[in-house]
Amino acid sequence: MKKQINWKKSLIALPMSAALMLPTATVTFADDHGDHNEKMSDVTVSTPAADLRATLDQSLSEHAYLAVVTMQKGIEGAEDFDAAAAALEGNTQDLTAAIASVYGDEAGQQFESMWSEHIGYFVDYVKATAEEDEAGREEALNNLDNYREDFSMFLETATDERLEASALAEGLQMHVNQLVGAFDNYEEGDFDEAYQKLRTSIDHMYGVGKGLSTAITDQFPDKFENTNPATPAADLRADLNHLLSEHAALAVLAMQKGGDGAEDFENAAAALSNNTEDLSAAITSVYGEEAGQQFEEMWSEHIGYFVDYVEATGSGDEEAKEQALTALDGYRADFSEFLDTATEGGLEAEATAEGLQMHVNQLTGSFDSYVEGDFDAAYDQLREAYAHMYGVGEGLSGAIVAQNPEMFASNMPSEMPKTGLGGTADDGMNAWMIAFASMAAVLFATAIGVRKSKNNA
Amino acid sequence: MDAEQKAADTTEQAQEKGSLRETYDSQKINASTTSETTEETAITPNTVTIPAIDVKADIENVGRYANGQMGEPESVDGVGWYKDGYQPGAKGSAVLAGHVDSLTGPAVFYNLEDLQEGDEIIVTDEEGTEQTFIVQKSEAYDRKNAPLNKIFGFSYRRQLNLITCTGEFNKEAGTHDERLVVYAVHEDDVNPAG
Repeated sequence: MKKQINWKKSLIALPMSAALMLPTATVTFADDHGDHNEKMSDVTVSTPAADLRATLDQSLSEHAYLAVVTMQKGIEGAEDFDAAAAALEGNTQDLTAAIASVYGDEAGQQFESMWSEHIGYFVDYVKATAEEDEAGREEALNNLDNYREDFSMFLETATDERLEASALAEGLQMHVNQLVGAFDNYEEGDFDEAYQKLRTSIDHMYGVGKGLSTAITDQFPDKFENTNPATPAADLRADLNHLLSEHAALAVLAMQKGGDGAEDFENAAAALSNNTEDLSAAITSVYGEEAGQQFEEMWSEHIGYFVDYVEATGSGDEEAKEQALTALDGYRADFSEFLDTATEGGLEAEATAEGLQMHVNQLTGSFDSYVEGDFDAAYDQLREAYAHMYGVGEGLSGAIVAQNPEMFASNMPSEMPKTGLGGTADDGMNAWMIAFASMAAVLFATAIGVRKSKNNA
Repeated sequence: MDAEQKAADTTEQAQEKGSLRETYDSQKINASTTSETTEETAITPNTVTIPAIDVKADIENVGRYANGQMGEPESVDGVGWYKDGYQPGAKGSAVLAGHVDSLTGPAVFYNLEDLQEGDEIIVTDEEGTEQTFIVQKSEAYDRKNAPLNKIFGFSYRRQLNLITCTGEFNKEAGTHDERLVVYAVHEDDVNPAG
């Protein structure tokens, strides 16, 4: 027969032994599943702090992506180099606006000139590489080194030392290495490595966005209604923003490469598949293996239809193009239903289908413009497709969190620990009384906690 | 070369290597999940050593009470690591709490208030891997009004914050009125840039 601990008895016995041990200790782990003072209805992905994080994540990660693409186009002397560079410039303006909204116009201007300068050094590096000018390459890297220090100091000062310069400089060095590395690999024909570094450089920027938004909201808590950009719910939103926008970005790139019959289409497609796998893992972590697999099948399939579309365009087969679009229509309906069911109506199928239509239009639109040689439009649509995914990320993560609030509740305590029992307090108080009082306080607190979690169940 | 010719060439090229769709489908099989960016320096703490105040203590994992309050170490000689938060050596603030006194006398963090900027805190995991943090500053807060986001939240740097009690012992509440927080930063994150 199993022995059972009589909890009631040991709790009653406790005050007797309290002088010998810490009276609170026994209940330390008694209830780790209470509501921790956080109302489940308060668990949300949409707070001013999480919005700031998303804005920074979007601009920073798009920067990394567009920088890699622009460098590739530069070394190839591709026709769309100017349009890619202009898109990068547009991204700089967005990022500047975000910085200026927090730190003012003057700081925004300072930021813009530094940021544009560092992009210039990357372009110098590409040019020097094209001209096989080793000294020029060195100079560009040296300039990037100096920029790194100046820029770190700028952000350290702006954030009132919340982003310590050396930690930031290290982060920026990684960024430089990833971009230069992705370019070198591409130029050497090591496409696998090039696309892996592209993905790493995008991922890296989400760490910067998280750190920067944390520093800013800590610096101006009132401006962000005392919300925190790094809650588990905000983390989910950031993860989905990341993977969804990366999907759009890699899809556009893979379609361009496919359309060009470029050698690295295969590697771009592999990067896209890796992204699909990560996205499926995120879905699995919430909805389980079976749903994750279903998701992965549907998602891979819809990318396949885009590839069919590219192939049909290449062969001038209008009928096959139509077929690909019809297949995408079918996917839209199925996938919207899937999400509706998974989120128990949190994401209503009709609205999702509409959002997906926009996604399809942006991707095929960008590709069509690219094929027609209207590169400005191609990159405008690419940027739209990227931004669109941040709306999808907020919507999807919002529905998931609303459905499973306890899964994404804050992991922070709501009160400081009781780390003293008064034994050195200079008041001659009877230790027994203290023990009894703190014991009673804990029992009382536990009782309240239990009641609260019942109310919220 | 006109567009049609270009398209035809492209198709030919593609067909040499199989169709784009075949290429894409073959990549699906090869896809491998890229690893999340993991912090190489993150450890699960086992002991903490603070030479400046002669502390060497074992670490217990602590969580939260139902009312949301952070738990305490069971032993007055032990230190509690807040297990639901960050690991020491990961980006973000790892938190360790220790008692200032027991019912009868001083406890492990009795001298925590003596820590000065520049003092070292060394955290070690079970395998003996060490992570060293440098004290930046100390602040005392009313126990009900401590900045919890700052103490327990994410940060770009790898941080370690130590908590103990300070201020008057409040008999009614059975606890001290204030909490002392010592803020420390990983040694590799404090050196000036360059």
